[in-house]
Amino acid sequence: MVTADVAAGRRTSVIVALVLLVALLTLASLAVGPVRLSPLAVVDALFGGGDEVQRVIVQEIRLPRAILGVAIGAILGLSGAALQGLLRNPLASPSLFGAPQSAAFGAVLVIALGLADVRSYALPVAAIVMAFLSVFMLLSVAGRNAGLLILILAGLAISSLAGAATALAMNLSSNPFVALEIAFWLLGSLADRNFRHVILAMPFILAGAAILFSQRSALRALSLGEETAQSLGVNVGVLRLVVIVGVALGVGGAVAVTGTIGFIGLIAPHLMRPLVGYDPGRLLLPSALSGAALLLAADVAVRIIPSTSDIKVGVLTSLIGVPFFLYLIVRERRALGGGVA
Amino acid sequence: MIAAARASDLPRIASINACTDQLLLALADPEQILGLGPYSRDTARSWGAADAHRYPRLSGEAEDVLVLKPDVVVAGSFTKLATRTLLKEQGLRLVTFDVAHSLDEVKAQLRQMGELTGHPDRAAALNARIDAAAARTRQLVARGQYSVLSISRRGWVSGSRSLISSLLAEVGLSNAAGELGLKYGGFASLEAIISLRPDFILVSNDSEFAEDEGRAFLLHPALERFYPPSKRLVVPERMTVCGGPMVVDALDRLVAELERVERTASAPARSAITTR
Repeated sequence: MVTADVAAGRRTSVIVALVLLVALLTLASLAVGPVRLSPLAVVDALFGGGDEVQRVIVQEIRLPRAILGVAIGAILGLSGAALQGLLRNPLASPSLFGAPQSAAFGAVLVIALGLADVRSYALPVAAIVMAFLSVFMLLSVAGRNAGLLILILAGLAISSLAGAATALAMNLSSNPFVALEIAFWLLGSLADRNFRHVILAMPFILAGAAILFSQRSALRALSLGEETAQSLGVNVGVLRLVVIVGVALGVGGAVAVTGTIGFIGLIAPHLMRPLVGYDPGRLLLPSALSGAALLLAADVAVRIIPSTSDIKVGVLTSLIGVPFFLYLIVRERRALGGGVA
Repeated sequence: MIAAARASDLPRIASINACTDQLLLALADPEQILGLGPYSRDTARSWGAADAHRYPRLSGEAEDVLVLKPDVVVAGSFTKLATRTLLKEQGLRLVTFDVAHSLDEVKAQLRQMGELTGHPDRAAALNARIDAAAARTRQLVARGQYSVLSISRRGWVSGSRSLISSLLAEVGLSNAAGELGLKYGGFASLEAIISLRPDFILVSNDSEFAEDEGRAFLLHPALERFYPPSKRLVVPERMTVCGGPMVVDALDRLVAELERVERTASAPARSAITTR
């Protein structure tokens, strides 16, 4: 009992610390940008003070960007934690399974066909449908108790397919700028978004998050093994479908407004496990918070790093994420090698 | 020589660049034009799109040009180097036109194309029309200097040394791009544009439809707040993207747009400016 109390106390303090960190990074995100504003001017402008230009910069350019950073980072971290729990596999993450790439294909198709305004709901809906199809396809190909290697190979195949389909969609477009537009967009960026984007993505992100959180006790039961979970009344088939829907909603909604931002979902749960333990149910909230902190930090960094044109935040998360992924592979080498090593 | 065997001794020309298309359409006889570039029929960007339908559309690659056996191929300095090299290696006469940065360069290019097509008289007539249009606008614009920033998709700003800049100067406007340090053009952030606060922005269309994120930049609420339609000069891309006879239309359109925004914004905007 005592150790359980200590663990619970520790978890609470981790969550409080993460909330503070996210709040701090949100302020940092409001404070940095091409136009230099003092922190005091930023706070002043946020609450309606300062001159009109400052108010517009803070409230209409930087605030939606910060909100999207929090929401999208959180949903990516949460999706990663849920997928890792569902598959009982530390290498699971939306980006390794090709979900963002497939969602991007859905959105690109809408852009390339030029039928809908990029600020309409057609984009997130197309992205969500494709994200759902990709994760569904992956899990059907890989089977129920697929090993790491099979999942990763199937994920690689699906992201390659999505990438090729995206390139094809670009070629078929009549908009001469579409190739450049989509190339930029695929790199993932939060720059110059506005509240229309927030309104566009938020319903899907919130729905996805609610669905994933609702499955936390089922995920906890699943961590004890599929049979045990079933004996505890968890329908594993339904759980699978529900988690896929949650991930597709969240990732699809996010990708539709920012393009693909990878590896947050992979890293966030790993950072939290040593702090809050291995229970997948209890890992969800800390992973969401650390995902938000990671994306905010990356998005602040791309604005601070000196460059001639803006660095895309998706590029930065991949630069950090890929070495981390390689490190995980080294750590999991034995399991990946099928026990040969 | 094959050319000598034809009824006309004038050279037959193929164009593989959107801007040389325009010069060729303006100056050559129809039978001199063997083909035009891939974007020649794009109504948004090609001034001569309607005319261009009468001629074969080329891919912009070397193959279909070689089959046509033209006397001269005209290309832009941004046409793929591999294509240009290949055409030259096949013994074709290739003439490359640089991007026109000013009205004077536009007139020089018209003269050059006039020589090339064997119609220097037509080039001289067009240049006289451009001079007349410039003189006409200068008379109209004895008004105060406004600063203007020309913004395209994704925040691309036409630099201080660009055709747009030259057109703005003719109409008595100054290009604010210099204050952003953009000589040949470059991307400007939304925040930088808003802090700079030029009097007007110049855009290529006034539709509210964002077909991609690049276009959505121009419809960002922050930009629309400071630059509603009454603060936007709208000049279609087909009048400004290339140098050629269309600069006459561009100048006339600029004057008309300036009159429109001054009319709609005169009383309320003036008082708003003085209270600031």
